[in-house]
Amino acid sequence: MKDIVFWISGTALAFVVTAEAFLLLANLATAPSEKSLAPDSPEAGSEPAVELALDTEQLESLRPRPDQSLDLVVKNEGGRPISDVNVTLSVSSENTALSNPRYYRQTLGKVPAGEAEDVDFGFDLSEPEQRVTGRPASEPARNILEIKATTPEGISTVRTVILPP
Amino acid sequence: MAPARLSLLVVLAVLITGCAHTEESPIAPLAPAAGRVDPGLGPGTRALSSGPGYKGSPGWSPNGGRISFTVDGYVVDRPTTSGEQRRWTTKDFVATDTEWTSDETLAILGAASASHSGRKASNSLYRANARADSLELEKVTGGVLAMSPGEEGLIFALEIGADESGLALTRGSGKVRRLYADGTIEGRVAALSLSPEGDKAVVALRPPEDPRTSELRTFDLRNGTGREVTRLDGNREILGTPQWTQQGLYFVAGKRTTGVDADGSEPLYNLYSVPAEGGAPELAPGVGEDFVASSIRVSPDGRQLAVIGRLNPKSPTNLYVLDPAARKLKAVTTNEDMEMKTEPDDLAWSPDAKNVAIIARGTPLTEPEVRPEPADRILRDFYNLYEIPIPGHTQP
Repeated sequence: MKDIVFWISGTALAFVVTAEAFLLLANLATAPSEKSLAPDSPEAGSEPAVELALDTEQLESLRPRPDQSLDLVVKNEGGRPISDVNVTLSVSSENTALSNPRYYRQTLGKVPAGEAEDVDFGFDLSEPEQRVTGRPASEPARNILEIKATTPEGISTVRTVILPP
Repeated sequence: MAPARLSLLVVLAVLITGCAHTEESPIAPLAPAAGRVDPGLGPGTRALSSGPGYKGSPGWSPNGGRISFTVDGYVVDRPTTSGEQRRWTTKDFVATDTEWTSDETLAILGAASASHSGRKASNSLYRANARADSLELEKVTGGVLAMSPGEEGLIFALEIGADESGLALTRGSGKVRRLYADGTIEGRVAALSLSPEGDKAVVALRPPEDPRTSELRTFDLRNGTGREVTRLDGNREILGTPQWTQQGLYFVAGKRTTGVDADGSEPLYNLYSVPAEGGAPELAPGVGEDFVASSIRVSPDGRQLAVIGRLNPKSPTNLYVLDPAARKLKAVTTNEDMEMKTEPDDLAWSPDAKNVAIIARGTPLTEPEVRPEPADRILRDFYNLYEIPIPGHTQP
């Protein structure tokens, strides 16, 4: 009986030692020489985050004429108030040979955490001066609106709207 | 009993130690391949431009490090890896073709914008140097109809009279050095390219009193002699630039229409081949009878032909490569939802023949589209250049 237990224990021990040796070797071969740094997990809501919301129906109503208006909402999705948010609107043409972008800017005083502010732009969407370029007549250029909200901390959010001709 | 207990204890200790190996290492995310995108043009595709603008006439520099193209008529280039775009002409210049004559110089065919009149000015040939301080171009000569870079210099077709043309050569100095052909060529040259060896030229020609570009003519640049290869009948015209392969001449031709047919369909053009010595053109072997061709470009060694076209009128436009010797057409892209630009000069081979540049965009919508990125970084909404790897070549 003693011999049986001895041999069973010996066999099990040999098996486990061999397995452990292989495990050790495998770990040595694959151990990373450098450790990747996991990104910092920000506390929820503590970082400033700006969101821009556009009105789809209003975008559809825009025409290539002067005196157009665009109402948008700047949301503070961060956990603390933000102030002095610069909101810019750039109006340009898809025809880059004609494009002379028009810029509009507004600054928001203070947007509390989780709150939103309305921004209204009146702008000129009329056609730029026409002349012959390398763009064929079959490819009418679309108007492009680029809206950007930037905080003093450098957080910025961009939305580009491509309007059909 | 003591050795048995000891053995059991050792076994348990080893098991506990082994199972307690719980240390974890974070797996580093895969580094994105620089510039690689999948815009629906297949794996390995790389964007070579971004943002708005009607792009055209791509061309790789001789060392393959940069690619030039037109944007709404003006000329730019940029590194093929990463880096800033560089402008070669002012925005009121309308270029119809550009060709690299060295890694630092471009030959540009075009004209200053014809103001508000809408009248198209006659094209001139200009030289531009990347090292120049200004965008001022050096004019070589006016009345230039077509051009193609050769080993001796730039070969170009020159307008001599209303229905007469000539061939000439210019080298680095910008002087017109030599006129080819015995006297003049009867007809107006519409397109020009050279043989793989560079010693012969093929031109697509509009004969006198013919409204169509219907004739192919070759010229031996060593002795200045020319010959008619073929003339199309049945209201057919040659579209774009004929290409000289190791297996003869290839060109796109079809019935002349004004844009869209009465039934709303686009005109259908076919790919033809004809021996360089002359003869009747036949549908290019290997592409199939229903194949609709738009633009073609021969590889630098003359052994392959890049073709933008459709397998049949109802199938999507794709990039194909034809091996004229084997008479085999291979699909390079399997595009379903991108619009490939199909102008005659909208594709180019890289100097090592590993890639082809094409121009494509997503199908435009009829409603306003909102994108979460600056306009100059948008790809799909505008025509942009893409580098398509050609099968059989390994990407680095």
